[in-house]
Amino acid sequence: MPDILEKVMDAVDVETYLVCKNEEEAERFSIELMEKLGFQDISIVFIQHQGPGARVRVRGYIYKPGDKYSWLFDQSN
Amino acid sequence: MKKKKVLLAPLDPVHDIGLKMIKRGLEQKGHDTLLMPPDHSQEEIIKSIIDNKVDVVLISRTLGYGVAEILGKFIDLAEAAGIRDKVKIGIGGMAIRPELAAELGFDAGFGPGTTVEEAVAFVEGREYKPLEAGISREKKDITAAYDYSFRNKRIEKLLDNIVDGILDYTSDKTTTAILRAEIRRQIIDSTDESEKEKLRREYAKYCDDVVKSFYEAGKYREKTRPLTSDEVKALGKYVDDVNSRLNPLTLQHIDKNPVVFIQYGTGCPFMDIAHIKSCEAWGANGVIHFDPSWGARTEGFLEGYITHEEDGSIITYENLKSIKESLAPYTLWQVRAHRGLNTPETVVLAGKIGADLTKINIAYGSLSGGTDPERLTVDAVAAIKYAAEFGMPFDVVTNEELSGVPAFKAFAGMLIVSKLGLRLGGKPILQPLFCYSPEVMISGQMEDNYIDFNAAKIYCLRNIINAPIWCGAPIGFLTQTEDRVQSSLMTALHASLASSLGVDAISIASSDEAFSKGPITAPSRIDTLRATQASFRFFGHSDITPTENAKKWAEEMEEGIEKVLESVVENGNFVDALYQGLLGSREDGAYPGRAGRNTVLRKS
Repeated sequence: MPDILEKVMDAVDVETYLVCKNEEEAERFSIELMEKLGFQDISIVFIQHQGPGARVRVRGYIYKPGDKYSWLFDQSN
Repeated sequence: MKKKKVLLAPLDPVHDIGLKMIKRGLEQKGHDTLLMPPDHSQEEIIKSIIDNKVDVVLISRTLGYGVAEILGKFIDLAEAAGIRDKVKIGIGGMAIRPELAAELGFDAGFGPGTTVEEAVAFVEGREYKPLEAGISREKKDITAAYDYSFRNKRIEKLLDNIVDGILDYTSDKTTTAILRAEIRRQIIDSTDESEKEKLRREYAKYCDDVVKSFYEAGKYREKTRPLTSDEVKALGKYVDDVNSRLNPLTLQHIDKNPVVFIQYGTGCPFMDIAHIKSCEAWGANGVIHFDPSWGARTEGFLEGYITHEEDGSIITYENLKSIKESLAPYTLWQVRAHRGLNTPETVVLAGKIGADLTKINIAYGSLSGGTDPERLTVDAVAAIKYAAEFGMPFDVVTNEELSGVPAFKAFAGMLIVSKLGLRLGGKPILQPLFCYSPEVMISGQMEDNYIDFNAAKIYCLRNIINAPIWCGAPIGFLTQTEDRVQSSLMTALHASLASSLGVDAISIASSDEAFSKGPITAPSRIDTLRATQASFRFFGHSDITPTENAKKWAEEMEEGIEKVLESVVENGNFVDALYQGLLGSREDGAYPGRAGRNTVLRKS
């Protein structure tokens, strides 16, 4: 059974709403969240804080162009 | 075909709207239908089947609770009543899956997403073939309906004058790019390996040091690497597997909806192919090769399967060939040659490998693309001749607007190159931007809406010439934010505006358009394809109505174009006009490019 993350074509986006005071805090929480989920190559794609919290879209890249993509070699694709 | 008598019966306390839609579809095909009210028992439905002597019964069941038991009982009752073998029984609804229906003994099961046509096919006992809403899966020639006649004869005359000057100016000139293009063509055509090697050595003489070191010492540029033979082999298998199960969605809802292109150029041709196959599956009609910006400033192309860690996929024969071979037969493919020092060779490669379209614009490439105006003028004439030879229409993009050049000046440049293309036997496609350009940010034409100024561009071009229009690139540029919902919505609305204005094609962005900290992802491409599809569905044949400003601004634009063309004619030399800023000045934000300056050669 392959690591399920190897089935991701390029990246995993996590979209959620974080309860926080400001955008700075939202950024910190976003990174912490992704690290807790085990992602290493993390980018904040979108973040907007309004009132009670922040709408965020955070990305964990599994493969970037030029990498060796496991899904390319998986014959069961 | 024999008319059928069909009973439609809901096995629910309320009606399933699906049954009513199927009833209408069956009646349109001439069948007799009986629709039972909801909340009848199974026994009452069986009795109705017998009393009305129906040929087919369609049961609907929306509620999932106890579905297997209820439906199993229905089949038992039908058997007990002696009608099971005489009547075809189908079951459909939100709670139904084909496997469940088969297991319970129904003749067919229709789950969520079933079309009316599918149910009608079942009633008529024929195989269901999905319809494409009148949109064929053939490559569309977006130039086919146009004769390129000029409605504004004054502008046509000015353009002819300028084109005469360009052809005269370039007639005794050549460049290393043109020489390389001819050698590349010979390399592709040759079947003799030793001859190819000899040609490569000759080719390298006309390249800059980075490319020379590749041919002479096998050195790769930083952040690039050759793809391994294992990767190449795996790609072939991957593409075959995906193609065998590709059942693409259709983006267009009506014939009037434009052809939709996406731009790819992740850096890696194999990731590009993976993205392309995903976009084909979600309905993209065409794909555009996006090369790295440094490629435009490099004299010469590399060879082999090469991947790149940054934006833009490297142009090599092998990279392009692998992309071409991965495409579905109906997918349009454009290879851009609109800027840079390899314009003629790009068109030769595209043409030899079988691209459908290319992209050439001297004004953009030399005012905002970084290439010297004289060099690009000489190269572009050769490139357009190749495009004509290979039967590849080319769009004439006006991206200099993004540098700050006003639309009327950019359009003047576009029309000059288009007329040049026509003179050389090519098929140009006008590519106005649908964007929130610096011009309108300053002048305020988009303060109220994003519709009028974009509509003005289309009205203006239509007033001048009967030519195909392909809005780019991408539509909605600078209106999108990093939020994928907002970004997809802006793309979709611009797509529907383009459709409402009756343009032939559009290039759309991904929902990552405004995100610049990493590569574009496959799901972000699907976001905007889905949004575009939904928007086409929403508007159908209805139109978006611009305000009176659109016509007023179109007239002003046309006047502006005429004045610019007059100034170019008065100047007497198109190349000089580019340096002088007549088609976009330093004050506008356009700077004549420096790459390839003083490299034009006299023909020997």
